Amino acid sequence: MSVILDFFDNVVDRFPNKTAVITNERECTYQQLAELSNFTATLLSEYQQRKVVSIVMDNTIESIGAYLGTLRAGCIAHLLSQNMSKESLTEQLISAEPVLVLCAQDIIDRIETKSKKMHFDSRTIAHYENERKIVPDDVAYLIYTSGTTSEPKGVGVSHANAVFTTKNIVSVLEYSEEDRDVLPLPLSHSFGLGCMHASFYVGSTLILHKNTINSFELLESIKRHGATTFAAVPATLTKLLDEYGSKMERYFSDLRLVITNSTAIPENTVKSFRKILKKGRLATYYGLTEASRSTFMKFNSDGKESSVGIPAPGVQIKLVDQEGNEVDDGEIWIKGLNVIKGYWKDSSVMNPVEGWLKTGDLGRFDDEGYLYLKGRTDDIINVAGEKVNPQHVERIVKLLADIEEAVAVGVKHETFGQVVKLFVKKTAGSHITKSDIIIHCIKNLERYKIPVNIEFVDDFPRTEYGKIKRFMLTSHR
Amino acid sequence: MDIESEVKEIFFEVFPSMPHDEFSWNKKQKDYDGWDSFAHLQLLTIAEEKFSIKLDVEESTSINSAKNLLDYIRSHT
Repeated sequence: MSVILDFFDNVVDRFPNKTAVITNERECTYQQLAELSNFTATLLSEYQQRKVVSIVMDNTIESIGAYLGTLRAGCIAHLLSQNMSKESLTEQLISAEPVLVLCAQDIIDRIETKSKKMHFDSRTIAHYENERKIVPDDVAYLIYTSGTTSEPKGVGVSHANAVFTTKNIVSVLEYSEEDRDVLPLPLSHSFGLGCMHASFYVGSTLILHKNTINSFELLESIKRHGATTFAAVPATLTKLLDEYGSKMERYFSDLRLVITNSTAIPENTVKSFRKILKKGRLATYYGLTEASRSTFMKFNSDGKESSVGIPAPGVQIKLVDQEGNEVDDGEIWIKGLNVIKGYWKDSSVMNPVEGWLKTGDLGRFDDEGYLYLKGRTDDIINVAGEKVNPQHVERIVKLLADIEEAVAVGVKHETFGQVVKLFVKKTAGSHITKSDIIIHCIKNLERYKIPVNIEFVDDFPRTEYGKIKRFMLTSHR
Repeated sequence: MDIESEVKEIFFEVFPSMPHDEFSWNKKQKDYDGWDSFAHLQLLTIAEEKFSIKLDVEESTSINSAKNLLDYIRSHT
């Protein structure tokens, strides 16, 4: 299997009448999904191979059909969330230069582009006549990075990248055709898309939800559909725990796997899920869109709750210091078939050294080879030659009960080069003062790490996925 | 709380390991254990917020004792 459709077509042959996808609106079999993809591919046959087709759709059966059909036509599927701001949507469409934008009827007027726009519906065609030769190095899909550390960049993921990663997800997390996978994540994001690929690789049934689902609906879905796996970001897992606590056991009793991603998971969330999951376990992974699923972590026992696990099969990870020496505590470099060849229209910013992707993430390995994330190299604040990891400052500040969120950044200073500036979002009704925070820091941090300037904010600039745009705080100081 | 007590409290907050009997209004910066440039910034930052004043950068560099800070605050409030 060398391209994404190889494994999809394989399960269509094996299980044509099996339910492939269930949504709130309807469900479809693998054969019906294949016919929907054939319809899309026929629609796209007037366009040349390797041209970009932007798909702006919510999580629906039609969006999956549009995605698979775009791949079948040998085009590049540019995946966008329907919930993006108009500004971000327009920026991406300008950058991606699609030949066609496929979207749902209700948002077609909101999309501003010079490209042709088309409302996508559910017509099906049994056979696609114009088979095109797709090779593993062809770009399958294009996703723009969420932009937490810099302006969004287009990441073109090849079929070879995607097939390699999908095989790893399936083998490490032991997906099978027996699974029923509840997925409330956007398919326009690497996490959600990777989960969908895994379901289609083994021929399981995908229970697809829109991203804005409420907790009760989610739990009911898990129970009603007899789900065996459930994928969610850490914030969703923590929210479920806060709202339902031990009652979750009733809903999660049959789950064999809860998969989340590498955004820091609170240790207590990991511990709680280990108790709640009687038959299954919680797992996470570390990866970038540029190098998807580079590690996997299956939480088995105490002591490694904050680790993102060990390198995925066939993936090499090393930690490197500023001089390029391999160390136990440094920048994470990744090498493997999951690493993309270059950014969209700008391969110069990749800077691969002999095939290694320099991630900009900082990490350390423990004695057993488990990886722990420690922040970003470009977030490190240099105070008079002393290095300050902002996450350390934030962790200390967040020990105060009145702090909902804190972000530390470096700002220029005449004497010290840089000093720490702290942005703080207080909890509702809090009367905490800047002095209270500084005094707390004096007791818990070295002098040079203590914020010189504190600014209270109502909220932080965030990406479409809710992550804080740290670089915007650095640039708007 | 009067201004003297508040200024004294700031010094104990910025130098939490300083024993209470070691505080003196005329004790100089060089005689403090840890009154470096960072501690200086923290003294001024807390004083600015507590007394709602803005310290002038030039003038603030001449503050080298608790009495200096007290006098500065008195002249600006």
